[in-house]
Amino acid sequence: MKKIVSLLLAMIMIFALAACGQSAAPAPAATEAPAAVEEPAAESAPVEEAAPAEEPAPEADALVVDTCILMEADDAMINNYSLLAVNPDAPFVDADGNAVADVELNTVGAAALINWLLSEEGQNLAANYGFEEYGEYLFYLKDGRPVSTAEIPEATEETKHIRLSTTTSVNDSGLLGYLLPIFEEKYGYEVEVYSAGTGKSIANAKMGNADLILVHSKKQEEAFIADGFSYVIDGMETERLNWMYNYFVLCGPSADPAGVKDAADVKAAFKAIADGKYTFISRGDGSGTHTKELSLWPEELGITAEAESFQDYTDWYVSANTGMGACLVMAEEMGAYILTDKATFLTFVANDGVMG
Amino acid sequence: MKTTAFTKTYNKRVVLNLPELELPKGQITAVIGPNGSGKSTFAKILAGIERADDRRPVLSGVSVGYLPQKSFPFRMSTEKNILQNGNDPACASALMKALGIEALAGQSAKKLSGGETARMALCRILMRRYALLILDEPTAAMDMESTLAAEECIRRYCDETGCGVLLITHSISQAKRLADQIIVLHEGKLIEQGDTERVLASPREEQTRRFLEFFGV
Amino acid sequence: MGSSIRKAIELILSADPELLNILSTTAKVCLTSSILALVLGVPIGILLGAERFPGRKVLLVLNRTLIGMPPVVCGLLFYMLFSGVGPFRHLHWLFTVKLMILAQVVLITPIIVGVMETFVADTAPALRETTRGLGFGRLKEYRLLMNECLYSIFSAYLLSFARAIAEVGAVAMVGGAIAWKTNVMTTAIMMYTNRGSFTLGIALGLILLTLSLLVNIVLSVMQGRLSR
Repeated sequence: MKKIVSLLLAMIMIFALAACGQSAAPAPAATEAPAAVEEPAAESAPVEEAAPAEEPAPEADALVVDTCILMEADDAMINNYSLLAVNPDAPFVDADGNAVADVELNTVGAAALINWLLSEEGQNLAANYGFEEYGEYLFYLKDGRPVSTAEIPEATEETKHIRLSTTTSVNDSGLLGYLLPIFEEKYGYEVEVYSAGTGKSIANAKMGNADLILVHSKKQEEAFIADGFSYVIDGMETERLNWMYNYFVLCGPSADPAGVKDAADVKAAFKAIADGKYTFISRGDGSGTHTKELSLWPEELGITAEAESFQDYTDWYVSANTGMGACLVMAEEMGAYILTDKATFLTFVANDGVMG
Repeated sequence: MKTTAFTKTYNKRVVLNLPELELPKGQITAVIGPNGSGKSTFAKILAGIERADDRRPVLSGVSVGYLPQKSFPFRMSTEKNILQNGNDPACASALMKALGIEALAGQSAKKLSGGETARMALCRILMRRYALLILDEPTAAMDMESTLAAEECIRRYCDETGCGVLLITHSISQAKRLADQIIVLHEGKLIEQGDTERVLASPREEQTRRFLEFFGV
Repeated sequence: MGSSIRKAIELILSADPELLNILSTTAKVCLTSSILALVLGVPIGILLGAERFPGRKVLLVLNRTLIGMPPVVCGLLFYMLFSGVGPFRHLHWLFTVKLMILAQVVLITPIIVGVMETFVADTAPALRETTRGLGFGRLKEYRLLMNECLYSIFSAYLLSFARAIAEVGAVAMVGGAIAWKTNVMTTAIMMYTNRGSFTLGIALGLILLTLSLLVNIVLSVMQGRLSR
């Protein structure tokens, strides 16, 4: 019994210490702000009290985000999102390279989801997403996009589960969390979202673990189609259904030591960063953002996804190998330049640099 | 009861080489001899815990009870430990009383001292009737008073059940008090067997004499 | 830390449905896998510790190797086996709780086997000398041996539960961290970390630690009762 009591006490003490530590040592950014009113010993007070008391206070010691958008809406930075249905007759192979013929895919469900996303309803919802929250549109509809008017069948027991393999940026922007429940509610499907970098997402589909993919890397999508892993669904003209886009944005410290703001175009901006050896955070995880970034460096640097290709640049080129949000936190911390999708960046700023 | 002749070898060294032996029923036979003379190995082979070189049992068709030098207390109370070997609470409490551990009946056997564990183990083995009961130094961890009580219990068990008892001991005085006959082992060989009084009073072998003299008999 | 603790308390108080789903999935996976591993591992461990048979040493070495298997390797193995192109594709187990449990059982059972084997190999010889001496049969011998093991079974379970609840590599691979379906505490923490939501990650971590503490307290109390 004694042991347990002391364990509990230790736990409470850790909590209390952590809480005191926080209010005792105000973050450096907040020093000049007299508004750093002592948080009335929030943690020692009963929990119910703590909740309302903190409402006005929490942002007092929050970071002021210094990282800002330095270049956007450059044609080279268009971020195209495409839907691709996975072909049930694709040349699937197992781990040893042997052909596997009977991979089971939910083609009906995949077509239903694609047709809904490309329907007037789905397109309008996607186009308006984010405006209320951020005052800016996060995604734009492409001119000449595929539009579907096909009837969407109700889900049946066999077609109910739809496996969507997608990229973290779509998932993290909250777009899918906003769209999918509406679709599910209406037609009775359940969409299981597997979210990883574009590279891993596509690999997952190639292993027969997804019915459709939603990604943003033209090169990798075209390779996927060329290998026979996608097919044209009824009523569409191509495998790659590119209907939505937004812009990658080049961000960096507001002081902009590399002068990116004044660069003629994004390639010139990347060259300026490389020439001045200003710290740059790369996703480094084979994601669509990473692929895009790799295409923007001056060719003579020879930066590719291979680690050897940038081993001479490690003094300024940071290959983080993690998600977009974590990279943004890192960039803010290091005062570095970074290429990001706009949606994630806006979320990052809206939360004062503390994601979530 | 007769044991067959056998040999036991460890790492090519012969540790025991014994002829046929007669272990009479209703009598206590003490096995004495210096350390390393093979007394414990002899007990284990008789009990079937270890096998002789030819892997055949030395005693067959006989129920044998064996009390090892260090008995294992099961994770339960002292009384339940004893009742594991025959569900007769009256007999168990009589034995515990005789050995002075009745106050410990409800206590966890794991928490008994060395001497208490030895007394519990003796109670436990005396619960059942074996044709031959082998006790390997049952009183080594006990004080004088407990030793005498234990000896009395062993004597009574032998008399009441009429089974044979083989008592391994290094105490000549215990052998003298308790045993009807004595077997003397030396370096794995039988050097003398006979009535207790005769062996102790006039040993036939030189080695026995020296061994006895060493203990001041 | 302070804001994370606040966040953690907020999350718990708000009874956020996604958090509750993550918690119940975590409980389902960890409890099932650790109990299955216990049911499998205890008999194997006792047999390996109590019996001497040819091949026993090989099995022990194998088991120790399995104890050291990185979870992510285990996860990868099951991902390949149950993938749409893998040999077990027709079961449709990939990205389900079932496969997460299976992968964890494979990870945890060797730990239980190891703990039990060590304990039994230590205890069995002395116990056996006594039970054989008393003339008990094999069945009674094993019953008494089990009785001796009870305490260490608890220790083994505590270890395996801890491993199950802390493990992320395998469940992330075979579960896919799919929201509302296979997302558990550890994969959620990883997801939030990747997203840069460190505060939320730590908040979840604190909840996980607290839960783990509670489970350990309950089990420790039960274990304490046992030793009395």
